[in-house]
Order: sequence, then C-alpha cells, then structure tokens
Amino acid sequence: MHGVKRVRQSPEALAAKKEKEQAKLNSYLELTQTILAKKKSKDWSGEAFDLTTKLLQVNPEFYTVWNYRRDILLNGTFPRSSPQEINDILSSELHITTTALKQHPKVYWIWNHRRWCLASIPDVPQPAAVDEQEQGQASTEPAEVDPRGWQKAAWDREMYIVEKMLDADPRNFHAWNYRRYILSESPTPRPLSAELAYTTKKIESNFSNFSAWHQRSKVYAQMWESGEADVEGSKEAEFDLVLNAMYTDPDDQSVWVYHRWLVGKTPSLALLQREIKAIQELLDEQPDSKWCMESLVHYKQLLLQRHRSEVNSKEVIGDCSRLLRELRSVDPDRRARYAELEEKLLAAFA
Amino acid sequence: MASASSPQQTLLIPRHVQYIKDLGQSSNELGYHLTSHLRMNAIYWGLTALCMMGHKDALDREDLISYVKSCWDEEAGGFGAHRDHDAHLLSTLSAVQILVILDALDEIDVDRVVSFILSLQHPSGVFAGDRYGETDTRLLYTAVNALSLLGRLSDLDIEKTAGYIVKCRNFDGGFGAVMGAESHAGQVFVCCAALAIMDKLDEVDEDSLAWWLAERQLPNGGLNGRPEKLEDVCYSFWVLSALAILEKVDWIDAEKLTAFILSAQDIEGGGIADRPGDEVDVFHTIFGIAGLSILGYPGLGDLDPVYCMPAELIESLGLRKRWRGLPRRAAP
Ligand SMILES: [Zn+2]
Repeated sequence: MHGVKRVRQSPEALAAKKEKEQAKLNSYLELTQTILAKKKSKDWSGEAFDLTTKLLQVNPEFYTVWNYRRDILLNGTFPRSSPQEINDILSSELHITTTALKQHPKVYWIWNHRRWCLASIPDVPQPAAVDEQEQGQASTEPAEVDPRGWQKAAWDREMYIVEKMLDADPRNFHAWNYRRYILSESPTPRPLSAELAYTTKKIESNFSNFSAWHQRSKVYAQMWESGEADVEGSKEAEFDLVLNAMYTDPDDQSVWVYHRWLVGKTPSLALLQREIKAIQELLDEQPDSKWCMESLVHYKQLLLQRHRSEVNSKEVIGDCSRLLRELRSVDPDRRARYAELEEKLLAAFA
Repeated sequence: MASASSPQQTLLIPRHVQYIKDLGQSSNELGYHLTSHLRMNAIYWGLTALCMMGHKDALDREDLISYVKSCWDEEAGGFGAHRDHDAHLLSTLSAVQILVILDALDEIDVDRVVSFILSLQHPSGVFAGDRYGETDTRLLYTAVNALSLLGRLSDLDIEKTAGYIVKCRNFDGGFGAVMGAESHAGQVFVCCAALAIMDKLDEVDEDSLAWWLAERQLPNGGLNGRPEKLEDVCYSFWVLSALAILEKVDWIDAEKLTAFILSAQDIEGGGIADRPGDEVDVFHTIFGIAGLSILGYPGLGDLDPVYCMPAELIESLGLRKRWRGLPRRAAP
C-alpha cells in the first residue's frame, strides 16, 4: 500500500467496521464465485460480460477477470457482431477504462486492457458495389472509405487521454510508456517536432520533471538519426535551456542528469572547457553546490580521459582531488564514493 | 529523542513474525479478498521475510505446498495467483520460489512449467506475463529467474533475452521497463539481476549506473526510485540489490537508510510500511527486511540480491553469482 496513513483503531471501532464491511464482503465473494464458475464452464454470454464489468469496478486488479472479459468478447460477442458493432463495443471498453484509470492511474492491467482494445479495432468495411441493373442507373464506383478510419479516430483520442493522465501526474511512468506506445504505433504518426514541443511545455511547467527531460533525450536522438534536426544547432539551444534551469535551481538533479546526456561520452575539448567554465561560474555564486562540484569532477575526468595531452593534467587532477574532498564534507552520505573516485583517479593518472 | 535501544531503532522480529503469520488468518476481511490477485506473491514475500528472520517454520510447510498446488492452472501449465485464477508469470515465479525454499519442486510438473514460461517469450526477447499480457523487463526477469531456479536456463536463448535488456539501457546507466522508457530503480534491479543470472553483467555501464543508484538516497536516509521523487521503503531493496550486484553498497549512507527503514515499522502491530506512519503491508515488510539484510543488520540471515531468496539456499543450488552486501554486524 502506498501513501495510506496508518490509523490505530480501538477493538470496538474495528469490530464495527468489520460488521459494516460484512455485507460488502459477502456480495463481493458471491460475485467472484459466480464469475469464476461461469469462466470455468466457458460461458461467453452477455450476462457474464456484465458481471465482469461489475466486479472490475470494485477490483480493477483482478487480472483473471480482465482475461475472461476478453475471452467473452473474442469467443461470444465478436463472432455474432458486425464490424460496426465491434467498433462500438471497443469504444465503450475504452471509455470504461478511462474512468477506471482516473481512479487507479497505476494499475498495469487497466493500461494493458486499453492496448488490447486499440489493437483489436477492426477495419472499416468497404461499401458493397451497387447492383447496376436493379438500380437501372449508370455504373458508379462506390466512394472508397479509409479502412483505418476507426483506428485513426481511436488512436487520436488516446493522445488526448494520455495528456490528461500526465496533467494529473506528470511522472506517471505507465502514462509515459503508454504515450510512447501511442506515438510509435499510431496509424496517424505525429511529427517528432510536436513531441519535442510537448516536452518543452512539461519542462517549463516544472524543471524537476525528469520524465519529460528523459523523453526529450529520446526525441532528439530520433530527430538526429532521421536528420529532422541538426545535431550541432539543436545541442546549442539545449545547452542554453539547461544552463537557464541550472541557475534557476542548482539543486535540481534532473537538470544535471540531462546535462550529462547532452555532453555525452565523447565531447570535444572546446565543448568540455566551455561547460566546465559555465559550471565553475555557477559554483562561484553557489559555493556549496554539490551538483556543481560533482559535475565538475565528472567533466574534468573526461578531460583527462579524452584530451589529456591538450590540458595541464597535473592541475586538472589537483582540481578533482580538491573537489572530491570538498564533496565528502558537503555530501557526506556518498563520502565512500568520493573517496573511491579520488583513489582511482590518483592511481590512474599518478 | 529516541535512544539506541528504543523500539523504533530496533528491528522488532517477533512482531513481524506474528504479523506475517496473522496475514493468513484475515480471510474474514474485505481487504484480504481484494488482494487475492497477489496471494501467491504475498506468500513468497512472507516466507522469504520469515527465512531472513530465522523463522522459516512459522508457516506450515504442508499447508503451503498444498496451497501452491491448488493454484495450478491445468489449461495453461502455470500457476495462478490464487485458486481458479489464470496462470501468470508473476505468480508462477512466486510458486517456484516457495517450492524451492520448501525443497518441494518434485511436487510439480517442471517440464510443463518450463514450456509455459518459454511460450511467453516474444521474438524481440522480452516476455509477456500471460496470453493477453503486457511485456516488460520485469516479466523478462521473472522468466529468467524461474528458469534458473528450475535448472533449465539452458532452454533459454540467452543472446536474444539479454539483447532486449540492452535495448532498454539508458545513458544514465539505468534501465527502463520497455525500450525508450525512463530509468527506474525497480527496472534497474530486474535488469541487473537478469543479466547477472545470464552471466551478462558486462553489458552494464557500471560507473554511470553506480552513480545513478548512489544518487537515489535522500537527505532523510530513504531511497527514491527516480530523480526528484519521494523516498519509499521498497526502493531500499531495488536500489540496494543493484548496488550489491555492482559491489557498491557502501556508496550510500547505510546508517541513515537503516534508521529510515526501522522508522517505517509498525511497532505495535508489526510489519513495515512505505514510509513512517503509513499502513504496513507484506510487500514493504519483505523489501524493508531485505534491505536491512544487505546492509548487514545484526541477527538477520543473508539475502541473495539476485534472486531475492535466502543466500545459503541459492549457494547450495550452485546458483550464486557475484555480489556483495555489507558485512553482518554483531548484535549490540
Ligand atoms: Zn513502495
């Protein structure tokens, strides 16, 4: 149980609560037994379907009942339904799970059922060719219908729902994973630039939202790979954004982690020196900033590893050593790490 | 101020043992039935916690075995979370773990369980939880762990399986639930442990990951699961197990974390909660105790962080991988 306050109840209060619960408990157990018995006898009826609706409203974590519900649809309902009816049923399923998610935004099974619904939406049937002689009219080609029309409409709605979910909890990883699923599988692909704009909006409303920074790193990687964005140009703009965030709150871990991604593992000498200088300036303003010091050590170590012949390595090693010792007192929880890094550094470059 | 001997700073083993024993006796409560989809997992959590506290026999062996067998799903060939529930990977792993702890694997049809598990692997290497199920690295670990405990890891395509984990690795060294997902301590545990079981730890970017894990500790001593999130006792295990696999448990402040976990105990009713003052449950009880074991808390048994089972048992099965917790401290 997450975030449920412990309340100490008297034996009398507990007994009263139990009594109040008894009726609820009995009807829950009865419903469960009925459903599991129907499932065993492969009852694919509409009545059984309605009972699963009732039970899942009380307990959306009952995965066996979600499975049974899908079995009923696949074996009972769909075979006797038209494509239009199937589409209507799946729309109503999506609607039910939207309501459930508002109450239980972190239940795996609800998200899972949504994916199944989306993937199960049928193609729109093409209109049958008109019988010309009977109609006594000139031959006309029936207008073609987009076979993926229903799917497109449903997937587009999903984007709206997932944004509502992320408005309610901008760190919900179920919602972010679902969002990436929609983005990658949707029949109406959304431009990467739109997703980048979405992460900008999320970050601007809260710099601490690492989920949005993470998504941004993935979107940029895709844009660079596809050539949709120029690597150098977009990185420069990102460094401006990150620097601004660092100055706004130098203790915000999210920004520093993203900065590390932006610098990458193989930065040029010029880039490293520029970023080291910018962080040093911030440290001068905020002399106790753990993240300034920790990042300086990281980037200075990269200097040594990648550009040793181009820098005064003795001086850089000395800087790292001094910073690591200071970190041990500024951030004592991780003192053993800083001690180990210093030991390794001295062993590697002595 | 609490003194060193105050109940809030000591692990109240008898209370927790009683709490776990009582869990099975609450079948007249609604909450008990609303969590039946977790029953098999809960028994594994409770039993493992009891093993750590040296009270393995607090639950009746025969009762447990017959319960596990009653959850067998004949159609699918796996175990459900409760009687008449569908087979699922999560409950199947718990069932296997319970039976291994009780030395009762001979009670089940291992070949069918192995086929059930292998049938859930997708071409990408990831595993689904059941026939309709979602796929993620958590379920992949579940499959790898179970196959290893059943002595059938050789039936698995290791390259393909490890290959999926590698695709979920992020620049911060962490791992996400699926490709493209944000690093999360829970996923870091499952991915590191699965790679450890498959002898593929060379795929881990150890420097970045150990840094990211060490940064999970908050000023109050507790650990969070992602940057800029709140602490929670269950992360004590997810983060510490991964640190133990990387042999870097000393990169966080053990004393502060120990105090945080102990402060989340219910000193009257037993059990451990996600945070101090919250309602306890068996999930946070095992992961709090597991964390304390890795931190060398006196009087607890050693926990194998890769399998989340008693270390001695894993060693006796010849499955022990490289890991290191803090040395066990002597009782004060
Ligand atoms: Zn938790």
